[in-house]
Amino acid sequence: MRSSHTTKRLSLSEWFKTITFYEILVGMKATLSHLLNYRPITLQYPHEKRTLPDNYRGMLALLRYDDGTEKCVGCDLCEAACPSRVIRVVSAEVPGEPTKRYSKEYYMDMTRCLFCGMCVDACPVDALGMTREFEWAVYDKRQLHLNKQQLLAIGDRSFPVREKRLELQHPNVAFFNVAFNHVPPKPN
Amino acid sequence: MVTEFGLRLAISLTQIGAVMCIVVLTVLILTLAERKVLGWMQDRMGPMEVGPYGILQPFADAIKLFFKEDIVPAGANKLIFTMAPILCLIPTFIGFAVIPWGPNWTFEVNGIIVKPFVISDINIGILYILAFASLAAYGIILGGWASNSKYSLLGGLRSAAQVISYELNVGLAIVGVLILAGSLSLVKITDGQTGWFWNWYIFALPAPQLFAFVVYVISVVAETNRVPFDLPEAESELVAGFFTEYSGLRFAFFFLAEYANMVLVSCVASALFLGGWNAPYPGTLMDLVGLSSWSWIESTMWFAIKTYSLLFLFFWLRATLPRLRYDQLMRFGWKVMLPIALANIVVTAIAVFIAQQIK
Repeated sequence: MRSSHTTKRLSLSEWFKTITFYEILVGMKATLSHLLNYRPITLQYPHEKRTLPDNYRGMLALLRYDDGTEKCVGCDLCEAACPSRVIRVVSAEVPGEPTKRYSKEYYMDMTRCLFCGMCVDACPVDALGMTREFEWAVYDKRQLHLNKQQLLAIGDRSFPVREKRLELQHPNVAFFNVAFNHVPPKPN
Repeated sequence: MVTEFGLRLAISLTQIGAVMCIVVLTVLILTLAERKVLGWMQDRMGPMEVGPYGILQPFADAIKLFFKEDIVPAGANKLIFTMAPILCLIPTFIGFAVIPWGPNWTFEVNGIIVKPFVISDINIGILYILAFASLAAYGIILGGWASNSKYSLLGGLRSAAQVISYELNVGLAIVGVLILAGSLSLVKITDGQTGWFWNWYIFALPAPQLFAFVVYVISVVAETNRVPFDLPEAESELVAGFFTEYSGLRFAFFFLAEYANMVLVSCVASALFLGGWNAPYPGTLMDLVGLSSWSWIESTMWFAIKTYSLLFLFFWLRATLPRLRYDQLMRFGWKVMLPIALANIVVTAIAVFIAQQIK
């Protein structure tokens, strides 16, 4: 048995503090003061929720224009920007409109997403958005593998106010990837 | 026509049933109170979900434990593994037989003298409690050994060493009170502390048992394996100590035993040192307003208040103090507590002798 008890000469006040458990009493006073001034910092989560910051980056979603058409033009830039390879885009021509492209299939594997928001920054037509949803616990991991319909549905419920189509926002600017069906064709 | 024995048995069983109900109810309250008090002291809320402010949490816990799978680990000694929780629980509950909950009244039923507030007033009450309290250690040790797990075994061994070391101090701390009271019966000891609160043995002349009380409380915290002496069930070292392998009802039994043991030692402390059922003023307020037959309510309330304050102290210590190291625990027990308890006996004996000579 090692003698860890170093025989240090105690002053009278130190000795008195030792035998009256002074340090322990100070600690007990601290805990009691917390009991008497009871101010819990707990938030009863499912019943009350924190206010999220304005720039909160939550669940990803695909957006639509105000006429209900998808914004996504299938450019694959989000797929390129994504650091954890969450996104997979299958791009295709819009049937019957050879100048226009769209994403035929769009998949997000949210199990890997780290919510960096780089896909949103990368999108040239602002087709991606980050919602304020964060309660995405599921029983099956496969439910986090989202397809285009699901992502659009998330966007529909999170962004009720939609933009006009770009060509209508800026009528005098030329756009690529726009059908201009609403503009009468120039006479040849 | 009931026989005398039948009547005695019926009365005793009624008393036992009542006391068991009170103890189990207290344990239920304690499990909630501990979590609430700990939470409040740590700026949390404690359980809040089951019932308003979480007051139904103990029932939810009990139901959960009741329906859990009862696992016996491979290689465990089945008989001892099954017996250990019961061996732990029964001695604790037996101890309550001699605790006086209320005033020392007697009344006669068909020529049988009944004491309503104590199941059996035996003249070696305190020895009986000490004897059975030590037996509960067997449950812990055997449970630890029979689980066939290194954590359980280490927990059981630690508990054995700890209980033996601190049981001694409990016994010696009590001796001062016994010298003052001149009796081992808890009823007689409590009867000796009537009057103002300075007649309680913690303050009583000629030898106030203040040091004995402190030694008793510290040793009892160690004996019930509570923080800061919870080495047998230290989560950070031994998963859960001796009941690592226990689940379901058997775990509930260990749990119940630990809390019932806390209640028991608090009851003993309030009976020995804090005047038991006696109010801090002479007599009772109920007597003053002429409701003598109802004064037992006031007396039992005082007993409950004292017991619950001591139980609160357990929680308070748990919220405040970190766990001791094993060598610190042993050094504190043998080199600090034991000499104080022995010195207290010598001083008390001399003081009582001198007081008798002067008289």
